[in-house]
Amino acid sequence: MLALMAPSVVFVCLVFVLPIALFLFRAVDNSDVPRALPKLALVIGTWNDGELPPEPVYRALVADLTVLRGSPELAILARRLNYALPGFRGTLTRTGRMLPASDVPSAKDALIAVDAKWADPEIWAVLRQQSGPVTDFFLLTALDRKRDVAGDIVPVAGDQAIFIDLYGRTLWVSLGVTLFCVILGFPIAAAMARATPATANWMLLGVLVPFWTSLLVRTTAWVILLQNEGLVNRALIWLGVLDTPLQLVFNRTGVYIAMVHVLLPYMILPLYSVMKGIQQSHLRAASSLGASPLRVFFTIYLPLSMPGVVAGATLVFVSAVGFYVTPALVGGPRDQMIGYFISYFTNSAVNWGLASALGAFLLLLVAITYLILGKLVGFDRLKVR
Amino acid sequence: MSLRSVLGAGLLAGFLLALPQAQAQQSTTLTVANNGGAAGVGFREAYYKPWTAATGRQVIDDSFNQELARLRSQVETKNLTWDVVSVTAINEATACEEGLLEQIDWSKILDPKDFEGVGGFGKCGIPNNFVSGGLVYDGDKFPNGTGPKTWQDFWDVQKFPGKRGLLYRAEQTMEVALMADGVAPADAMKVLAAPGGVERAFRKLAELKPHIRWWKSGDESMQNILNGDVVMTFAWNGRVSTANRTNKRNLKIEFGAGHVSGSQMIAIMKGTPKKDIAIEFIKFTSAPPQQANFARAIDYAPANAKAYPLMTELERSTLPSGHLHLASLQSGSLYLDFWLNNGDALLQRFIQFAAQ
Repeated sequence: MLALMAPSVVFVCLVFVLPIALFLFRAVDNSDVPRALPKLALVIGTWNDGELPPEPVYRALVADLTVLRGSPELAILARRLNYALPGFRGTLTRTGRMLPASDVPSAKDALIAVDAKWADPEIWAVLRQQSGPVTDFFLLTALDRKRDVAGDIVPVAGDQAIFIDLYGRTLWVSLGVTLFCVILGFPIAAAMARATPATANWMLLGVLVPFWTSLLVRTTAWVILLQNEGLVNRALIWLGVLDTPLQLVFNRTGVYIAMVHVLLPYMILPLYSVMKGIQQSHLRAASSLGASPLRVFFTIYLPLSMPGVVAGATLVFVSAVGFYVTPALVGGPRDQMIGYFISYFTNSAVNWGLASALGAFLLLLVAITYLILGKLVGFDRLKVR
Repeated sequence: MSLRSVLGAGLLAGFLLALPQAQAQQSTTLTVANNGGAAGVGFREAYYKPWTAATGRQVIDDSFNQELARLRSQVETKNLTWDVVSVTAINEATACEEGLLEQIDWSKILDPKDFEGVGGFGKCGIPNNFVSGGLVYDGDKFPNGTGPKTWQDFWDVQKFPGKRGLLYRAEQTMEVALMADGVAPADAMKVLAAPGGVERAFRKLAELKPHIRWWKSGDESMQNILNGDVVMTFAWNGRVSTANRTNKRNLKIEFGAGHVSGSQMIAIMKGTPKKDIAIEFIKFTSAPPQQANFARAIDYAPANAKAYPLMTELERSTLPSGHLHLASLQSGSLYLDFWLNNGDALLQRFIQFAAQ
């Protein structure tokens, strides 16, 4: 038995556990900075907060930059430090170009002569905070926080704060989508469970065909249907319901419509399999004992189908939290979810530390949701049958 | 001899025969990445086809939306899929500094004077064509000069009701906002980089914000104006003329309002074994006839000044080149320093602004 499981265990470790561990490590990894500035890393931290460092620290920086001068590592270091303090890149590349000789009488005066920023305690505070092998910088940024000159954690300026709102929006949209999926999916699944096998098969096909269709195709189709000159608006105007087209896409409405459509099968399928297992005799017994149809539904059918609702809702919610293609195509800037920004920081901005930190909190969010759901309805009911 | 061994020997022989052929093919083909879409058509028609005809070497085409990560991952893993790449000026500067592109002294290969007007050679790449983003409206909806003339008109929702399309990016959009606030195009970067410039641009954008439909790709900008979702838009000139040609429409670009112009550069991936062929290819694409053909295909202006005499007056009339005195240029140390230092932080602020 163990021998049979071994391949799958190894597979899961290699393609799932290991990459996740690596990306979580990326969120705190800062080895680039001490590797580029080894001499500085040794002497940094030997002065008081809010003051300028002593001469040996300046000298160590000059020595490190002499080695780095003109190399790609300097540019990579400059980009990294520019995240923490916009403008750092310019200071560093300028200093690299006009570096004083390593035997000047005062490295401090020479550096300040190249760029007055080196006389600013803030730049040194940033350098000190960012010079260790690990950093909390990306995790703090992902929570709209930063460290000030004294090293205390403070909120970032209002016009830079973006991620907390994004997490809130991601959760809110996902909850909304889950709710709509339950409301729409429940009657369909119930009807399928009660239908004759032939009808149920056709209905199942109706659920599965969209499920098998590419996500991109379905999302683009919604854009075509819902846009101002699209089929839906044209039909409503032709019928005289509307005078001017309704804005149905590139806003929150479009995101809800497309996401509910994409995720509905994940709701219906687990619900259907649970409902299929509900004994009709229970319902008949309740009716024959005089219960009204409503009472039969609320005391027998609903509790018995609850495991399906919970399993489907978990599936839909967890998938919705990570969605990014659909909101990117049918949403406006106000509707983008956290997945969009993870992709942006991975591909375009190449800030992999921040992308990892954002991903780490997303993972945490899903884990917390799972724990709360488990506490509320019991972990044994969370599994998909 | 059994059937199986015959088959096996045949397969082996076929494999051995195919192997050197595959290698030979690999050594003469060149993989070139460009922005795709209309730009990709220009690359194919004006560069690849004549290059293959002239040298017998094939070109493999790939599209690249300027995500620097794609350059970095190839160079860092030493697994290059591209040899030549078309990059924006800002990406050329960044990637060159970070060692992702080959440093080449182009002034030894081509005459720098021909390329001075579009920003000159970079440390790694050279300008290949010239793109301009400007005020675009539908000429059929605003006939006989009733259309918007200035960025102030673009901001005037009383005079021209309807949604406006703007690029969902801080770079270029900030410059446009300052032009709408009365800054001369040539001074837009100076004002933006000066203290208070960023606030001024955001204040101006805030005025128009409820009426803005942001777009992320050139295709999207055209789709929105062609189907009437927006009444006017900021858009790149090559997209406009391509959209007019393929859809038989009458979109107009108002260069007179002021526009944002910059070179699309071409450079060689760091560490490619085909560096010499790549240099030959870039030299070929930079020659006046190819440059003129590229401009004919997409209306992005030639980078090589010697290409202009090869074009007719009519062909030149839709190019941004005659209007450069009205442009905020995406080149020079002021531009590069500002965006390299502040690009990340400004984009974050911009996203935050758009999301509220």
